[in-house]
Amino acid sequence: MGLEKYQGDLAMCHRCSACKFIPMQKVANKEFSYVCPSIARYDFHIYSGGGRLHVAKAALQKGFQYSDRILDMVKNCQMCGACGVSCNYAMDMEVMEPIQEYRIQSVKDGHTVPALDKAVEMMRKGNNMVPGAAAKRGDWAKGLNIKDFTKEKVDVIYHVGCLTSFNKDMWKLAQGTAGLLRKAGVNFGIGGASELCCGGRAYQMGYEEDFLKQAKKNMAQIKKSGAKTLVTGCADGYHAFKVLYDKYNLKGDLEVLHTSEYFARLIKKGKLKPVKKVDLTVTYHDPCRLGRLGEPWIHWEGKKLPGGNFVFDPPKTYRRGTHGVYDPPRDVLKSIPGLKLTEMTRIKEYAWCCGAGGGVNESNPDFAAWTARERIKEASSTGAEAIVTACPWCEKSFKEANSNLKVYDIVELLEKAV
Amino acid sequence: MTFNKDIYKEFEDVVGAENICDDPLIMAAYKDNPFAAVIMPKNTAEVSAIVKLCNKHKIIFRPICTGWTGLFVPGSLLIDLRRMNHIIEINEKNMYAVVEPYVISAELQAETFKRGLHFCVKGAGSNCAAILRGHGHLDETTSGDDRNHLAVEWVSPEGDIVHSGSLGSSGEWFSGDGPGISLRSILTSAVPPGASPGIFTKAAVKLYHWPGPTAYSLQGQSPRYTLKDKPAYMMARYFSFSTVEEMFNAEIKIGESEIALEHMGFNPAMVAGNITTCNEEFFEVFGRMAKQVKGPGFFIIIAGTSAEDFAYKKKVLDKIIADNNGESLKMVEDPEIEGILLIQCTRISASIRETFRSGGTFKSIPIMGQRDLTIKWATGAGEAKMPLIKKGLILDDGGGFFGWGVEQGHLGKTEIFCAFNPTNQEAMDAVNQWREDQKARAVREFYFAETMDNSEEVSKKLCNYLEWWHKIHKALDPNDVSPEAGSLV
Repeated sequence: MGLEKYQGDLAMCHRCSACKFIPMQKVANKEFSYVCPSIARYDFHIYSGGGRLHVAKAALQKGFQYSDRILDMVKNCQMCGACGVSCNYAMDMEVMEPIQEYRIQSVKDGHTVPALDKAVEMMRKGNNMVPGAAAKRGDWAKGLNIKDFTKEKVDVIYHVGCLTSFNKDMWKLAQGTAGLLRKAGVNFGIGGASELCCGGRAYQMGYEEDFLKQAKKNMAQIKKSGAKTLVTGCADGYHAFKVLYDKYNLKGDLEVLHTSEYFARLIKKGKLKPVKKVDLTVTYHDPCRLGRLGEPWIHWEGKKLPGGNFVFDPPKTYRRGTHGVYDPPRDVLKSIPGLKLTEMTRIKEYAWCCGAGGGVNESNPDFAAWTARERIKEASSTGAEAIVTACPWCEKSFKEANSNLKVYDIVELLEKAV
Repeated sequence: MTFNKDIYKEFEDVVGAENICDDPLIMAAYKDNPFAAVIMPKNTAEVSAIVKLCNKHKIIFRPICTGWTGLFVPGSLLIDLRRMNHIIEINEKNMYAVVEPYVISAELQAETFKRGLHFCVKGAGSNCAAILRGHGHLDETTSGDDRNHLAVEWVSPEGDIVHSGSLGSSGEWFSGDGPGISLRSILTSAVPPGASPGIFTKAAVKLYHWPGPTAYSLQGQSPRYTLKDKPAYMMARYFSFSTVEEMFNAEIKIGESEIALEHMGFNPAMVAGNITTCNEEFFEVFGRMAKQVKGPGFFIIIAGTSAEDFAYKKKVLDKIIADNNGESLKMVEDPEIEGILLIQCTRISASIRETFRSGGTFKSIPIMGQRDLTIKWATGAGEAKMPLIKKGLILDDGGGFFGWGVEQGHLGKTEIFCAFNPTNQEAMDAVNQWREDQKARAVREFYFAETMDNSEEVSKKLCNYLEWWHKIHKALDPNDVSPEAGSLV
């Protein structure tokens, strides 16, 4: 079982509560000091990162036991990784991995949530995580004459993702991205109706086996195409292809880039030129799986050295959110004439989640909406006219929060400027 | 262990069904103690109602803030105060802040910095409750213990709402001693046996002048935040000395001259813990640092309110250090390292790195007392750590201890701890034995009496204080529902 290898990490938690807040150095006010939506919303300590670790520790010691409250704890977490960043500011211990393993074990033990079962079942049957017939996955591209990477040779695969493909409100993101890639002269292609769900959201929900099947199918398709680069505008997809596929040794040498990284690169090379003025003051929301969870996977196998010091052979490097994708989206925004960027209190590695991750969007929409409203409140406090993000799930969450604040994806603003 | 349905319903009626839980499986999150239930009141009235129910049904209760530590009774009711998290008032004119129990120090500090004020953040870290009584890195200028509690709102062990000090007579929070009843001697909100029974629901925390910026300008990503712009009139240094006597003499002179914003007797391992981002880096830096220091030392922050004030303080510091043959640690003079220490040690997120990271857990002996005596004792306690270090049972910190003066005086805090792997029972046993031995030595050799434990042996030597305390406790808590370890941590 996966949780066992984190036994030493679980023993390291001393209930300091740092996991509930943004790193102490960064606490700038009372209002936006929390980083974990789950503990902020549900209060009982089990909903915090540390509380979850203690429950996992007890499960290892006494065996897995489930109750309504424990299952409520399991499902009401966006798996956003913020607890881990705050803990790992000071501590050397794994936080997110044991929480993920606990979730995986719950699924293996048959303690699932109907709404999540339904979402995963859709993926099993139709290769997508949102309602929609697989055959219609590429409908957003009708008439655009975009290459099909499963049939034609391309340099870059543009993986659109489930939500963008099936939610008509999001089609503009795919169409905008395709337009920008075309303007930059990139030889790219899409999967259209053949595109497969990345499986990342299933993994977040704890369905490890389903995720792996999906990942293997995707990599087979990608390898067959011969393309060396995959670009996606979905943070969940980015995290899946770049981090999770690598974690399970499936990624190979595929270069995975988020659209914000790719567009920042194209702007720098002069292939995209934002010249039109966009008079707007915006604040940028870092999607969890592009930001702190978007940093590369670190492969490590080793053991603790004997003695009283918590050190390992070989030395262990922890993923602390340090190397997430923070600058490229900001660079894109800063390249747009007339646009002013103002920052929120909680940004980058300690950004507040939009609410949609970890299956919360499906299993507890109220909690997802509450989390999004908290973020909107923070965005509004900056005086910005709009909140900009780089993930369709974040955009959906913010739009559903019923705020007066405008909501954009970074692609939409870049498209206006180019 | 759970309450019967009727009793549970009575508690539920106070806070609502969503704020009480008796699922035994969630207790793992609360130090694995089999509490009968966890309840989360939202205000003082609810706390009072809960405590009255505890008296009615003879149920032991235990309140917590962030819940870092404490003593817990199986089968008791855990009153988790995390919904009481409001800053009620920051009174700039009279220099106090009124807070509820779950306001953490980092939150209050961020708000007070904006107003040119700060307060005593306890050594447990800014992740802990601002209301907590105790000591911290900034004691030299922000005092410690119960001096920092002004008026207090307290729910007595029987459930009465009591307002102490000025709050009791005028509704104002400016004083803990009056006009109105003074309960300062029994309302300590500390750790046993000095902890008051009952529950603090609001307290006025004393504020002090803050000479630093309204907010630090930071750069970089976690875990390495550095100062973008070092405040012009702030400086951090570490000085080491050839002997304990020279170090202590310099410490006293610095206190008397009132030049330090922070004066903290870190040992090199603690400095290394603060400036490094992982254990491997820590051991490498500590190894280098240990070779560069002359002997015992301390960390100091000087902060001026003007160029002249800053220059004066630096000049005085230079003289004191020179007079006592002190030597500045070059590593800390590096502007980046200096900046890290400035932010670490004033925003006090330092404690977790210092204590937990490299070993896993720790056990300490903290003492308030006359610094020259307690330093002598701590030197011996440090030597007694060496066999444990050699056996690989505890973290190799060179046998270091730490401490600092309080209120620029000879009174101060001294502490020594052993960090070790919490899964290593042999280490745990050895550290427990070390603690017992060193506490016994402190009494035997007339250094101090350790007052963190309910020690009858120590009490007998000190006017039977425990007997008196038990009598006070019995008068306050006739139903014995609020153990002496029952107050906030």
